[in-house]
Amino acid sequence: MARLTVALLSLALIGCSPEPDKTSDPTLVVDPTPDPIDPKEPTDTEITCDSVDRANCVEIAAGDSAALQDAVNTLEDDSAIVLAEGTYVLDNQVTVRGSDGFTLIGQGIDVTILDFSTQMTQANGVDIVGDDVHVEGFTIHEAQKDGLRIEESDGVVIRAIKANWENENDSTNGAYGLYPVRVSHVLMEDSEAYNASDAGIYVGQCQHAIVRNNTAMRNVAGIEIENTQFADVYGNHAEDNTGGLVVFDLPGNPVVGRDVLIRDNTIVRNNRENFASPGTTVALIPPGTGTFAMASRRIEITGNTFDTNDTADIALLSGFIVDGNPASWYVPNADLIGDISGIEAELFADADGIHTFRTFDVYVHDNTHAGSGTSPYLDIVNDPDNPANVFGLLHLALGGPPLGNVLYDAIGESMFSATDAVGNSNDNRICVVANEGVNLMSIDLEAIDADINQYGPRGDVWISEMLYQPAAPFAPFDCVGPALIGPDSVDQ
Amino acid sequence: MLWVVGACSPAPIPDDSGTPPVIEDTSTVDPMPTDTGTPAPLDPDALSALGVVLGFDGSTISYAPGVQVYQIATPLFSDYAVKERAFALPEGTTAGYTASGVLDFPLGTVLVKSFLLPADLRVPTDELTLIETRVMFLEKDGWDTWPYLWNDEQTEAFKAPSGTVRPVTVTGFDGKPLTFPYLVPQRNQCVDCHERGKVEARHTVPIGPTARNLNVGGQLADFAAAGLLDGLPPDDQVDAATDALTLVGVDPTTLDDATLDSAARDYLDVNCAHCHNPLGTEGRSSQLFLNYDNDDAFNLGVCKKPGSAGAGTGGFTFDILPGVPEESILWFRLQTSVVGEMMPDIGRSLVHDDGVTLLAEWIRRIDGVCKADGS
Repeated sequence: MARLTVALLSLALIGCSPEPDKTSDPTLVVDPTPDPIDPKEPTDTEITCDSVDRANCVEIAAGDSAALQDAVNTLEDDSAIVLAEGTYVLDNQVTVRGSDGFTLIGQGIDVTILDFSTQMTQANGVDIVGDDVHVEGFTIHEAQKDGLRIEESDGVVIRAIKANWENENDSTNGAYGLYPVRVSHVLMEDSEAYNASDAGIYVGQCQHAIVRNNTAMRNVAGIEIENTQFADVYGNHAEDNTGGLVVFDLPGNPVVGRDVLIRDNTIVRNNRENFASPGTTVALIPPGTGTFAMASRRIEITGNTFDTNDTADIALLSGFIVDGNPASWYVPNADLIGDISGIEAELFADADGIHTFRTFDVYVHDNTHAGSGTSPYLDIVNDPDNPANVFGLLHLALGGPPLGNVLYDAIGESMFSATDAVGNSNDNRICVVANEGVNLMSIDLEAIDADINQYGPRGDVWISEMLYQPAAPFAPFDCVGPALIGPDSVDQ
Repeated sequence: MLWVVGACSPAPIPDDSGTPPVIEDTSTVDPMPTDTGTPAPLDPDALSALGVVLGFDGSTISYAPGVQVYQIATPLFSDYAVKERAFALPEGTTAGYTASGVLDFPLGTVLVKSFLLPADLRVPTDELTLIETRVMFLEKDGWDTWPYLWNDEQTEAFKAPSGTVRPVTVTGFDGKPLTFPYLVPQRNQCVDCHERGKVEARHTVPIGPTARNLNVGGQLADFAAAGLLDGLPPDDQVDAATDALTLVGVDPTTLDDATLDSAARDYLDVNCAHCHNPLGTEGRSSQLFLNYDNDDAFNLGVCKKPGSAGAGTGGFTFDILPGVPEESILWFRLQTSVVGEMMPDIGRSLVHDDGVTLLAEWIRRIDGVCKADGS
């Protein structure tokens, strides 16, 4: 199947598809934007070398960036660096390599600030490779690339770190705020990210992750769990991003995402314009997206609060949405990282590898929904290739009621019926419990794609033949998902 | 530590353009240096204490007896810095020839690479300022690395684990002042380029002194004759990278296909493949392999979409769009100096115009059509 294309529609619809007005929602109470670098009161207890449990420790005087750089570049194993209250102005990244057992700790968010605004190198803020890493208690301001990058490590704690860029909607801001990648056993908590041009809070290509009590605002992707196995994501706040809290696999990535629990998060008002650089995966996220799971399996979404995400609260999507070539999703067995036991039979395996485009075993239940889906993304003039336009077109065809709180693209189903429960195969085992306030739309996106290419827009036909809106209890989607495998305990 | 004696040091050659500077050869031919007793530490605070680089007189770097200056065929672009390289082998040892990868250097080998900036880029031989000398030495646990920064008086270099970012002003090719941030990398940034191997077995290696990149101007034979190199096969069995000096002032459009392809692939190999190789972190993340011996067109970037290039795409779809350099991400990232867009992402802040021109012509001659949906 080719990538879904709706480009042909663009000419046909000019003149009959007014840009939805996303600015005038009288019910919206917008918090004043906090000044991200207002100094906060220091904590009562000063962190010193006595506070940390490492064999070696050095305290760096306030503002002594040279001493900080000398310390990280002459590190031994099992070392701590303690930062003072104040601002460290840095012209190059803080790089840690070849040292296992490393703690970098400051006096708290916005009390200790690493300021990269005059950085002259194309580099990250704090960049660490090594096992047993603990990073806590400071702000990373205006990094050129990623704020905090920790890569290829085992045992990582990120606590009370803030990654911040000043300008809103600026594609030249750094890409990722907090970015542990290819890490085993990561705890990220009590941290914040603002105005990242890719993902604010990111956990990617990781195994065993706990992501809790973080805040992400004004990023393209607020919180992103990508190609990650065994993650517990709870108590986070994602607001005013393009997409709030998203889960997906990238094509061809060797870590097959699985067992991600999204619970008790607040995912609200994620309607920000998409300011990612063209060509990036997140550039395809339609504004107004609360949560999506794409090319993902064994996902549970429960206990979350969704409110005023204008396109949809939850979208469950095949990887074909972003890349319709199965070969792009092929991972040779020899390259696989992590654990695919129990799911390999569902991944279109051949003798030498698997395919990861399929989304299956998703369990959505007991979330609260309000005010979402009223103004779905629709921009086929400027963004003709974005498959999300189909949702907007469908919304128009329906005459403007809110889209479903839960949208399912039905890609890969052996049977689809717009009318009968028994005519929908639910081969992907999508389970949505009809608790208060939830509605569900199963949309035969493949059929709509083919229909567009042959006939152009035919909303009435789509509604009658390609849209299934089951009444509660949503049969055949009234099932119970699998019990997920939680992450191993992360050293805290 | 004692160093064996090598052949006379050839004059350093600017890496990027222009005539070779005439730099006096100060090494002496002394096949049996005398033992001075106490070995020097391999990472002393002052570079001179290492006993390899002795000093700089404003035009010439002087070395201890036996230290061998060497050239490489296709050098890394480093903001038009003139670079001079040398190796020092422990007494009584030789390097072993290897068909691919870095020469098999003996334990205790020291490599030094010095970076000099000319006051006027149009005259790369004159008014040189010696900025930094990077040191690698081979210990039992592998290669270790240290940056040394020369003082303003140009009398000594001192160990600088944090490196520096130093704004410098030179006269540009247009005759106007050109100011740019010159990066002396931190010690921990050495591995950004110098690390090889699988995740569980990462190790630091030199990059330049491979046989194929040393195989220029009869240099390998000279080393063998001087007793510095063992196992050198007959000349016709040794691979050779493109001698970049043969391309100076040459319009790439006048090159035949084979010469152009070799030159472009060697340029990519030296400037990009330290990350973009099948075992490199960025190589694996991006699946873009620019090592000269990669023969897979897709992994070379032809019709390949990037993974997470961010602003580096320039809005384009494919790493290489055959025939159209101006719509190829690979070209875009070389011709920009915007932080966040450019590649390589460390070690340059200026655009290497000759390199951009070379690769543009190379892409222009690649055949093929890319399908928009990647199928």
